[in-house]
This record gives sequence, C-alpha cells and structure tokens, in this order.
Amino acid sequence: MPKWGMAVDLDTCTGCGACVTACHAENNISTVGPEQAARGRAKHWLRVERYWEGEFPDVRLKFRPVMCQQCDAAPCEPVCPTYASHHTEEGLNAQVYNRCIGTRYCANACPYNTRFFDFFNPAWDKPLQLQLNPDVSLREVGVMEKCTFCVQRIKATQIQAAAESREIKDGDIQTACAQSCPSKALVFGDLSDPESHVSRLARSGRGSKLLEDLGTFPNVNYLNRQVEA
Amino acid sequence: MDRRTFIKLTAVTGTTATLASCGSPENQLIRFIPAEDITPGVATWKPGVCVMCSAGCGLTVRVMDADADVVRDGKAGVVRIMAAKKLEGAPAHPLNQGGLCVRGQAAIQVTYHPDRITQPLKRSGNRGEGRYEAITWDAALTELLGQLDKLAAAGNTKAVATVVRSGFSQRRAIIDEFLKRFGAPGPVVYDLFGDDVLRRANAMSFGREQLPTFDIGNSRHVLSFGADFLGTWNSPVAQSAGYGRMRQGRPGLRGSFVQVEARMSQTGANADEWVPVTPGTEGVLALGLARAIITANLRPAAAAGRAGALIDGWASGLGSYTPEEVQKATGVSPQRLERLARQFAESTPSVAIVGGPPLAHTNGLFTALAVNALNALVGSVGQPGGLHFTPQPIAARPLASSSLQALSVQLLAGGAGAPQVLLLDGANPIFTAPRAWKVRDAFDKAPFIVSFGSFLDETSAMADLILPDHSFLESWVDAVPESGSVQATASVAGPVMRPLYETRSTPDVLLEVGRRLAKPLSPALPWQTYDAMLAASFAALPAPAGGTDAWTDAQTKGVWTGTLPASLTAPAAAVASDRAGTAVAYAPAQFDGDAGQFPMHFLPYPSIFYDGSAAHLPWLQELPDPLTSAMWSSWVEINTATAGRLGIALGDIVTITSSQGTLQAAAIVSPGIAPDVVAMPVGQGHQLFTRYASGRGQNPVELIAPVTEPSTGALAWAATRVSIVKAGPPDGRLVLFAGGMREHEETPDRGGTWGRGETG
Amino acid sequence: MWLAVIGSVGCGYVGYPTPPPATALPAVPGQSTGLFTTAHASFGEAATHFFDRRAEPVQPFDFPHVTHVQKGIKCTEYCHSNVTTGPVAGIPGLSTCMVCHQAIATEKPRIQQITAQSKTGVDMAWKRVFDFYPESHVKFNHAPHIRKNVECATCHGNIAEQTVAKRNVELTMGYCVNCHNENKAPVDCLTCHY
Repeated sequence: MPKWGMAVDLDTCTGCGACVTACHAENNISTVGPEQAARGRAKHWLRVERYWEGEFPDVRLKFRPVMCQQCDAAPCEPVCPTYASHHTEEGLNAQVYNRCIGTRYCANACPYNTRFFDFFNPAWDKPLQLQLNPDVSLREVGVMEKCTFCVQRIKATQIQAAAESREIKDGDIQTACAQSCPSKALVFGDLSDPESHVSRLARSGRGSKLLEDLGTFPNVNYLNRQVEA
Repeated sequence: MDRRTFIKLTAVTGTTATLASCGSPENQLIRFIPAEDITPGVATWKPGVCVMCSAGCGLTVRVMDADADVVRDGKAGVVRIMAAKKLEGAPAHPLNQGGLCVRGQAAIQVTYHPDRITQPLKRSGNRGEGRYEAITWDAALTELLGQLDKLAAAGNTKAVATVVRSGFSQRRAIIDEFLKRFGAPGPVVYDLFGDDVLRRANAMSFGREQLPTFDIGNSRHVLSFGADFLGTWNSPVAQSAGYGRMRQGRPGLRGSFVQVEARMSQTGANADEWVPVTPGTEGVLALGLARAIITANLRPAAAAGRAGALIDGWASGLGSYTPEEVQKATGVSPQRLERLARQFAESTPSVAIVGGPPLAHTNGLFTALAVNALNALVGSVGQPGGLHFTPQPIAARPLASSSLQALSVQLLAGGAGAPQVLLLDGANPIFTAPRAWKVRDAFDKAPFIVSFGSFLDETSAMADLILPDHSFLESWVDAVPESGSVQATASVAGPVMRPLYETRSTPDVLLEVGRRLAKPLSPALPWQTYDAMLAASFAALPAPAGGTDAWTDAQTKGVWTGTLPASLTAPAAAVASDRAGTAVAYAPAQFDGDAGQFPMHFLPYPSIFYDGSAAHLPWLQELPDPLTSAMWSSWVEINTATAGRLGIALGDIVTITSSQGTLQAAAIVSPGIAPDVVAMPVGQGHQLFTRYASGRGQNPVELIAPVTEPSTGALAWAATRVSIVKAGPPDGRLVLFAGGMREHEETPDRGGTWGRGETG
Repeated sequence: MWLAVIGSVGCGYVGYPTPPPATALPAVPGQSTGLFTTAHASFGEAATHFFDRRAEPVQPFDFPHVTHVQKGIKCTEYCHSNVTTGPVAGIPGLSTCMVCHQAIATEKPRIQQITAQSKTGVDMAWKRVFDFYPESHVKFNHAPHIRKNVECATCHGNIAEQTVAKRNVELTMGYCVNCHNENKAPVDCLTCHY
C-alpha cells in the first residue's frame, strides 16, 4: 500500500511560480478575477510564500511553496460533519465534493490555509473551457477544494499499471507542480518505499515539516536552504 | 450582503442560464460529425514548441477530446475535436529538460483565448480604435498583393518595413527570405528587454555576436550581475534546470551563488549572498574583482586574452580599480570585495553572468565587456561549468536591419524614402517603446499596415489589415535557440490540433503571397509550404545516433540536437565595433533627469508578463507575483526607509514623475531595494489588450527617457531618474494574495505582512 | 427559488466537462459559460432530481440493438470499442455506423435515413442513458471492470433485447458498492469520487 508524500527542496526552489500555474491548468481551477481576488477568494491550491528577513542592505528573501500537507492527523478531518474530508489508506486527505455541504469548518481548522471555498459556480469565457482537464471534477458553488496530490494522475497510473500487470515505479506518477518545476525542487512519490526519491529526501538532514509542533504530521518534507560552511 | 442573499442571487442567475436546456429534446444541442477519429477519454501526447519567449523550449502536449461550439450553415451546435489540454516540458529536450516556466504553462490560454482574432479583418474605424469588419482570406490577400504589387511596379520594393520580436527560427527565416527576395530591408527586431548590448560585447570579447549559454549545472560558483536568469532572462528554464543541478543535483557538492543588483529580483532572492551596488557601477565591481584576483596571484592577467585586452588598463594591472575606488563608486566594502574575488577565483569552475539592468545603462557595453573579461580571466569560456555559445546553423543568422528608433524617424519624416507598407509580426512597440520615439505617430503615418498577430493590442489596432496567424498549437512551429544548450539544437513540431478558426499560418501566407505577386520574387522561394521548408532544412542535418534521418527523428521527438557539420555552422562574427581594437574605459552611467529634481533611479523590470506580451492570459494575471504576491495589479516598489521618510505605506497611491511624464500607482514597501531606487514591473497598463489586460494598471514604459547606449543604439531602459511623492491613501487597486485569506469589504491594507512573514 | 438551490442538480448533462447549455451559442468566442450550475429551472425539476426520478430519454432514432446483437456483433467489437482502450465507452457517431452501412442493408429505409444524414454533417444527437448527475462527481472507468470480466449486461441491462438502450438497471451508488463489496473491490470514496 503506497503512502503518498512530497518533498520540497527550498535550496532548489527559485520562486518562479511555474508550479502554481501548472496546478491551475491541471486541476480546472477557475480564475476568480480582480474583484473576488481582492476579497481573498483566489484559489491557489499551491502558493509560493515569501519571507523577508532583515533590512536593506542585509536583506534575505526565502520562498516556500505550500500546498495541502495531506496530514496524517489532519485537523480538517474530524471537523467535517459529512466525512467529505477524510483520510484514505494511501495517505491522502480526500476531499469528496459530493459529500461536502460547505460548512467551511475544515478551512477554519487547517493551520496551513490550504483549503479554498467555491463562492461561485465555475465559469470560463469561451472557449477557455476547451482546456479543461476531463479527469478532474468541476466543483460547484458551496464546496471546498484543495490540493489532491493530483489524485487523478495517481488513479490513472494505478489503473494503467494494473491493466499492464506491472508495478508502479518511482517517478511514474508526477504531480503537475513537480512535473513543471524548472529546477526540479518538488518531488512526489511513495513514502512507504524507502528507496523512492521522496523517501530519500525525507531522510535528509535538512528536512523539516511545517508547523510540526501542532501535531498534524504532515506528509510534505521541506528541505531547508543549505547554509554555506 | 450576507450569504443567503448571495446564494439566492446565484440561484437566479444560474437558473436563467440553464432554463433553455436540461434534456428537453427541442433544445438538444446539434452535434456535428467530427472531422477526425477520436477515442474519448484517452490522451495522446504530441511534441510542441513554446513560443512565449525566444528561448524555444520543447513541449509535450496532452491532447484529448473536447466539445467545441461551432456554427455551421447558421446552425449552432457542438462538434467533438481533439484539443490540447495541458502543456508540459518535453523531458528529453536539451534546453528545458522536462521543466516549463509560468509563461509556458499559461501559453495554452493563447489558443483558447476568448478575444483571439478568428478571421481576417479590415479596419472600419480610425487607426487605434480597434474597429474592424470581417473579410475573407481571398479579399485580404488580394488587398495585400495589391499593395505589394504597387510598390514593385514603382520600383520601390524598399518601402516595406517589418517589425518582429527577437528569436531565431525557420519561421523567421521565411520572413527574412521573403523580404530579401522582394527587395525590402530586413526586419526591425524590437524587444524592450533585448540584449543587443550583450551580443555586441560577446562579439568583441569572444567573436560571437550571440547570447551566451551557461553550463550552470556543472558550476561550482555563479556570480550574476543583475541577470534574472531564473525568472525572465535569456533561457530561464534551461538556466533553472542547471541551477537545480548546481545546488542539489550532485551528491556532496553544492554550488554557491552571488547576485549583484540594486533591486532584489526573483533570481536574486535565491542567492547565498546578495550584493547591492549603485546602479551603473556593476562593471566597476567586476573589474575590482578582476584586479583583486590578479593582485592576489590567483590568476594571471594574460589569461583573459582578447577579452581582457578590450579593457582599458587591464595589461597595466587595472590600477584605477583599487578596493577604495571600487567602494567609492559601488558602495561595496573592500573586505567584501576581497572575499567575493577569492570565492570567484577559487571555487572553480565558476562563471559570471551579466544581463538586465546593468546593461541598460549608457555604460552597459563597458559593463558587459568587464564581466566577459572576468570570465575569461578565470578560464570559464568554453569550459564545463562556464560560458558557452550554442552552435548556430547558418540559416539562423538574421538579416541586419535598422533599429525601431530609425524606423520611427523614417516614417515621421515621410517623403519618397519613407516606408509605404508596414508589416507587424508579434511585436507591440507602441506599448514597449519610449514615448519620445513617437512610435504611434510614426506608425500612423505609414500608408498601409498589416498585422499577423492573433490579438488586438495597441500596435495591431493600428493595422489596416489583420491576417491572423494560427496559434502555435494549431500550426507547424519551430525555434532555433540562440542559447540554453551547449549543443546545437533545433526545436520543431507539427500542429497538435486542427485550427479552431479561420486563421492561416503566417509563413504559408507569405509563401502564397510570394507566388502570386505580379512581379515574381527573385529568385522565387523554393518551398510550397512552411513544413516543406522545415523538412528541407532538417534533412540537411546529420541524423542522430540510432535514428533514421534527422527530419523523421525531429518530428517524433520535437527536437534535433547534435553536432553541426562545419558547412552548416555560422562563422564567428567579424568584430563589427566602432571601437574595434580600442580598449574601453569606465565612464559613469549617464541618467536622464537632474538628480535634484528627480532624486530616484527608476527601474522598470520584466515581470511574469515579461514585457507585457503575456498580460492577456488570465492565469498569469491571477498568479501572485513572486516578490509581492500582487495579482491583477501594478505597483511601485520603494525602500522601507525611503517610504518612511516620504510617509508612504503599503497600498498608498504615489505619483512618479520623469522628464517624459507622470503616472500614479500603488506603493509596496520593500526591504529588497536600494533607498534611491524605485522599481515597477513592466506588463500592465495596456490600453487595449483583450478583456483581461485592457485598462488595467499602469505602464512604466511611459516614464522611460530615450537614453541609448552609444555603440549599439540600444535603449538604456534603466537610465531614467524620477521623483516620487505620496498622492493619497490606498484606493483598492492593489490586490495582494499574501494575507488575503480573509474577506475584506474595502481595500486590502494587509499591513504588517512585510518583515514578519506570512500568516493566513 | 430558495429551495431550488438545495440538492443541487445539473440539467441532465453528465460525465466529463459538462457541455455548455444549449442557449444561444456564440458564433465567435467570448461568452461566459455557466459551465456547471447547481440551480434548477423549476421546483418540479428539483423534486424530480431529489427523488431520483429520471425521465426516459427520447432518442432521435430507434436504433435496434437487438438486430445487431443477433448478427453476432459483440458490444465492444465495432461500436463501443473505445471501452477496451480507455475509460469511456462512448456512443458511436454516424461515421462508425457508416463503416458497415455504406454497404450493408443499404436498401432499408432507416439505413437510407442515416446515410442521408451523415452527408449533412450533422451527427445523431443521442441522449446519454447511463450517466451520473454532474454533482455526484463520479469518475467511472470501464477498463478495470472489463478486465475483471464484468458482463456488460450487469450494469447496462439486457440491451441485447432492446432497440435503443433503456435504463433497466438503476445505477445507484448502492448497486456499485454492493458489487464492489462482494468482489473485494475498493470501496473508499476516492475510488470513484475525486
């Protein structure tokens, strides 16, 4: 049984944002427009955060891509009244849109702010809708959405591998963000396979987790920037 | 409004949208028979070439079925088509190696853009109004032929001017050949953030008039002077791929990176050490480092060869670049200088990069030559981890042509020698050229303007005739990258889907026009179609190992890469410099505007929209800017202390004034910019550029003074001084994503997120 | 109006990106698509959906499955072959019919009817019978089921005896889950709903 996880190498991430756009393209995330974006309703399942340190001229800036951490002890799961947010055996925090009734308690509970509410039914100026990914649901008004670790790609690869009677190798499944990253800072894979790339990165001395002290047990490992000796 | 009312309203509007449908047979959609064999739900992957910038990265395009709206014989219906769904970087492409940048990912929205021009148009309003009526291709081509035939008959074929964007490709070669054989001058290449100064410097230092390629993946240390090489400069994805490898791709070995610039760019944020310097003095720092290396006997001066000889004072030890002199000019302390010099000389292989603002000064050529000399000094030229030049096939050498400024002067002068027909292919100089060049007025004087672009923008709205090109996914497309790979590379791909509209591939249009001219082209263009031309040029390339032939192989993979035979390699450029043989000395950068009236340096920098050419893509508009998290907005970056002194806080409206004009924008207070510099991203402020970018934000180009670098005539876009003053409180125009997780009724004054990191 | 919002049902379109409603379609691009709306046209429609009462779809043409099955043509042989290579079975277009019927049974009036229509370029506007409400977000992939040798008739009923397909088997979630439980197939939500 695989356990899906990701690693983000902050030493390699350049902050370019390609991952964010790739996620929008892959997951049919509708563009909300400037007025709604001003109200905080833009749905960036994956965002790049920036942290400034110091003052000019001794100033530093660090980038950090943040997505749903698919926590083992996800605070968004116990608060969902309809089991729309729950944990799967493969380690994903599932968001089942048809169960969701939009209480938004999960977003309230999530310490990483990675859950987004659909304030509107999706609309695209024609013919932008031709770009939509048929493997990903269109979310209607009133449901929560978030990063799924590209579950559609996981499922498609699993079905394909079963059809061809073969095992899934490390690297067969790539999330859209990891695939697009020009410097290959994002890595997705099976944490239960000790030899997978993501597992090896998880064992790195530079690794840490976000808000670890909250006890959420996230499954995304962040490898800190290496400091020069 | 509360949620209940809100949802009620949604129900009402949603209802009206669906009233007419929902299964009743009378209102069932008409479905037309598809033109192709389609397996629903199964994706195929086809090669592609990204055209969003001149890098020429390779794509692999996911193609699946989709239902497209069509109208046939007056009946509206749907038809199943094979449609591109997602763009990914081609894994085996030597440039991007599977990665793809923001613009490449967003590029698919070009094909499906709601405001794309779908058929030939003839102007029906005034120039610039954007009013057009649809015409047929026959009528459109007849009109174009009429204009060209008229010129040929009058023996005035020179009176055709063409404006294109930079980037080598076979597509560009067809345009060049058409113009040459017609008797017209070569195209004017205009890019606001073009790198002509660097090309000239490379020609002088290394005999290659070409953008450099950096083998960053094998470097031990990268020293970059102002180049946003991980964001927008040169070949960003190739450079990022190398950067990833340099940092963590080699077990036990991590490369280091120093960035020198006055404003922290997205690239600079990743540096191990960030070194701010006074604008226009980057070359002084480079030579200060060189002197320190030579003085410490880390490298002999003679190692720099020709590149060093071009620097005045090199042979005599660079006496005027002592640490104290360097500190006076740049602000970099002697201790730091010494340390940086040691690091650069000892962490080999090391490489220096220069690009962007340092070259956009009047002394930009000197700066580029200085950094070239630094590279030559440490022996990085042509070595692993160092600076290279992508071998170029001869066909990629563009025709020499005049500058945009000269074209503008010609058009404004009018008279017998002025261009009569103006062809526009993809450039938007009315948006990106300094106002003082009066490009709009100049274009207005051209009797006949034709645009091949897919969108109405400030420049194409001046056209009398629009002959829209296919989008790159609907036609053959190719690129001959000028940089980004150590080996010769040519990208090529066929259409991944059928054209959605009544558009035609521009090279095919030119080939047809060439055949139908009253006076034939001399000599005639030998190719019937663009893809026939591609087949012919690829056939001349050596087949890759194990492959059948170069053309078949290239079509499957989307790229040809290998060693060019000598017969096909462009010869090293002759050193065409007005200072050939003369050593270049440092001259302080000249700025427009006196320091008293205009105390701040103005830095317009390439944004995620690059130079504004990608501002029409909604994904990019909504993407939070890497440095500020701003979406759908323009802004001005001001140093924290300066803002405090001027009473400016986050979101406040400020007025910026240069000798050219004035504009107002929202302020963002930033610690990552020098106190006497203000910066503004280029890309917003379009008057006309589709529904997503029209009338949005401000265009900093309006403030740029027409200062040029003397040798090349290139625009010194970082040489303008401005004044800045607070105009008013925030008015809601600035939209930030950071801290925007809560709903706010009024203007987002997120306040306090700077310097404290981000919370929800 | 208020109540129409509860229970959110689309208007009968199913499956992959819901095609836009048949309002005045733009000849040129630019109109917004209310691509997925949860509102109903009327309270009656909302009630129909809530009680899962589906009107039998009216097909434009009474295609006889029985005739073709009796000729020995298997479901996935010519017409629904997509299901062996991909997730979607699909309803064949007129081009598929004409592969055989350009030569076979050309004297029959119905064949002449479809031959004439195929020349107009307008495809047969089949109504989908086996579908799910869009807001159920069901991702059904035929391939694993075919691989497990689930008979077509298990879910699609006795089509072999029907003309146009009738929804004799109610494809409720319970139906799927029961079979999955009996056959030790996965029943976690993400198997089908994502």
